[in-house]
Amino acid sequence: MPDSSSAPLRRRSLFKVAGLGAVGAAGLPFAAACSDIQTGEGSTQATEGFDFLPEYKEWPLPAEPDLVGDPPNHPSGFTSYPEPVEAVTEVPSNSGTYEITVPFWGEAPSNDDPYFAALRDAWGGTTVNLRQADGNTYADTSVQWLNANEYGDGILLFSWMLGSHTNFPETVVNSFYDLTDILKGDISGRWPLLAGLPTQSWAQSVWSTDASDPESARLYGIPSTFSGGPGNALFTRVDLMEAAGIAMPTTVEELLEACREWSDDANGKWAFGGVDWILPQLFGLVGDEGWSWDDEQGKLVNDCEKPEFTEMLEFRRTLWDEKLIHPDAPTGTLDNGALQIAGTTLFSQENPVRWYDYTTKVRDGQAEGAIVPVPPIGAKGRKPTLKASTSVDGWTFLNKDLSKEQVEELLDVANWCSAPYGTKENELLEYGVEGEHFEYDAGGNPVHTEHGQKIVQAPVNLKQYSGKVQRFLTGIPEVVQAHFEFNALCQEFIVPSIFEGVRIEAPAASKSASQTLNDQQNDIAFGRAELSTIPDMVQTFLDNGGEEARTFYTDIYKSLNEQ
Amino acid sequence: MATLQSEAPPTTARTPNARIVKRKRSAAQRLRHDWPLLVLALPVIVQLALFFYWPSAWNIIAFMDYSPHRPFWENPFVGFAWFERLFNDPYFVPALLNTLKFAAAHLLFLFPLSVVLALVMHSVVSTKVRSTFQSIVYLPYFFSWVLVVTVFVQVLGADGLVSNWLMSLGGDRLTFTSNPDTFLVLAWMQWAWKDAGWGMIIFLAALASINPSLYEAAAVDGANRWRRMWHITLPGIRPVIILLLILQIGGILSVGFEQYQLQRNAIGYQATEVLDTYVYYRSVIGTEGASFGTAAGLFKGAIGLVLILAANKVAHRLGEQGIYQKS
Repeated sequence: MPDSSSAPLRRRSLFKVAGLGAVGAAGLPFAAACSDIQTGEGSTQATEGFDFLPEYKEWPLPAEPDLVGDPPNHPSGFTSYPEPVEAVTEVPSNSGTYEITVPFWGEAPSNDDPYFAALRDAWGGTTVNLRQADGNTYADTSVQWLNANEYGDGILLFSWMLGSHTNFPETVVNSFYDLTDILKGDISGRWPLLAGLPTQSWAQSVWSTDASDPESARLYGIPSTFSGGPGNALFTRVDLMEAAGIAMPTTVEELLEACREWSDDANGKWAFGGVDWILPQLFGLVGDEGWSWDDEQGKLVNDCEKPEFTEMLEFRRTLWDEKLIHPDAPTGTLDNGALQIAGTTLFSQENPVRWYDYTTKVRDGQAEGAIVPVPPIGAKGRKPTLKASTSVDGWTFLNKDLSKEQVEELLDVANWCSAPYGTKENELLEYGVEGEHFEYDAGGNPVHTEHGQKIVQAPVNLKQYSGKVQRFLTGIPEVVQAHFEFNALCQEFIVPSIFEGVRIEAPAASKSASQTLNDQQNDIAFGRAELSTIPDMVQTFLDNGGEEARTFYTDIYKSLNEQ
Repeated sequence: MATLQSEAPPTTARTPNARIVKRKRSAAQRLRHDWPLLVLALPVIVQLALFFYWPSAWNIIAFMDYSPHRPFWENPFVGFAWFERLFNDPYFVPALLNTLKFAAAHLLFLFPLSVVLALVMHSVVSTKVRSTFQSIVYLPYFFSWVLVVTVFVQVLGADGLVSNWLMSLGGDRLTFTSNPDTFLVLAWMQWAWKDAGWGMIIFLAALASINPSLYEAAAVDGANRWRRMWHITLPGIRPVIILLLILQIGGILSVGFEQYQLQRNAIGYQATEVLDTYVYYRSVIGTEGASFGTAAGLFKGAIGLVLILAANKVAHRLGEQGIYQKS
């Protein structure tokens, strides 16, 4: 992907975006109403139009992808494995030892595994020990680590984790190393792969020391890979559907019928184990942070104010009343993946990564059949809508207490980790050591061994330490092909963000109100409250932070679109 | 009758009108005299200072718009603004009411259960039966709440043991573990299983201190089992009952956290939200910040202090020692 001038951003001048600094920082009317408390009043940060970022210099790809898409929402893919080439020809000679905090889900790999020793030797001698923490609670506990400055020399945060922080801009500028002076301008000499990262990636790694002053913007994070396209999908066990004679649904109404055909409560079969976060987009509820512009009303409206919101809750309630969802679904602790493998549930809401994971399990004899995503579907004859997030996956932030030399050493590692698919560096990082963590199959594709799955494939490790020059679909060829085609199918249904080019931290009151609204939705969905209470719960949301949020987001929207 | 008592010491050394004059010792003399006691107390003082008094001093952030990234005294004082926000939050009062409801239920329905269990246990003569029963009742106290809730879901849940058995008989699933209307009963069952044994052990220890000869004497005088319990056992453990009652009243707003948080999704927030979970969701993992959570914690502490002092006062009025000796 070349640089930052992507289509969705061209409609606005940089001046407009830069002018956002004042919105939310100090001048919002509702902020003054909350006595002297300024914490949690919300903030905005422009993510484009900076002149202090690393200068983009294309890093030529070593191999052309077999399937050429339109990144970032439709990434290209490899269905064959290219002969890997060396990306970093001049390996630095370093000797520092650092500790980076990263999340893990499942089993944390030991730092003593040969995988990490091989990485250390390959990228020039820097020892990076992982301080691994449970991914399920990582976002919330990271708040305390950062406040106490107890996260080692760096921390990996995924972009979805920022919502757990009350005032993340303040945390960033006070806790993390300001990379601006080191990375400004032409860095292609020492870090050619970092120079090859999309300018958008770097622009999204900027925070301002003073939110009301756009001039105070600085570069604080090493961006992870720039991604786009549908991040979630509704997957179904296609083999079970065929066996039961159920056709792939093409509308929400057909989906409900499929659920009724499949489910058999008395015999322990249900359509869903959980359905809460995939369902809104099936009903067209794809507002940014819940908000979208309504031309008729001439204002921003929240998803919960739309009639489709009631339709969605009616659907969820039907699932519960007709016993089409697992009876323990309210606990929120079901292992939906395991239930789907066991054939207890038919559908699951998943990240597409699950597609590859399931297919691997089938190959290894740990699962049967196959899963595929349900194509985009809409309700009541409406056109389907999809949400896509075109942004960096996250950032590695370095501790402000490091010296410049130490930061440069860690950037050496980041440069090495940015090598894309088709390089030896990427092969070692993503697959490990041949013979120990992976083997080549008959088609010449690297396949993780059982040990490799535990140590390299499953954990986050350092695979997200810095972004790849370009993201590709890679892995099991037939899944890559199908995934590529699914992405192509989705393109026309993707609804662009109305707040493109700006990172928003919502006011605390609206976040709290949203949390309560979510709890109340579950009350209705699981039969603890009646559908007739929806107007009351919407009003409660609006009275306790929703209206404040509307003012806040409207200011941003107008700043972006009406100047 | 011969007596073993010796003669009282002669008092002739003191003149009849002599006043007993206590010599006032200087601080240095007292230090020299009592230093071993002070050394013994030192670890406790250090522990209290480090882990109780110093953290307690930080409650002051409830009156500040606090950020850990600013020098402490640069955080602006905002008076009672956080308390105002707390009391204006429409979800605070329901959480407070839930807390009081669970506390009252705990006090009324679990506390007496522990006493009854202890009395039953005390009346069992067979040591073997007694130790077996004691172990069974006491063991769940060491289980974590995660395990307790899991066991209840596995047994009484919609997809649990009993539900599946009922389904096999053509019945319907139980909704006991996801029904907000019956959550209080479920919570009581969980307390009873997990905590009643612990309370029982404390009362058993108190029962052991009652002189058995009192029972023998009462039996000889013709007192039946109930009269022995009423006139000997219960008065014997009354100081312990009062002490535990006062302590429990002081912590009345601390009804626990894990039990409610773990079942929040299944039961719904309206039935399970207590002050501790409210603070957790609003402040710890929510977005209201540390000052808001501290204000809620301070409110809880202040109420607890008032209640414990009131209960102690009542205990003194009833002639009991309470949590401290009335001077």
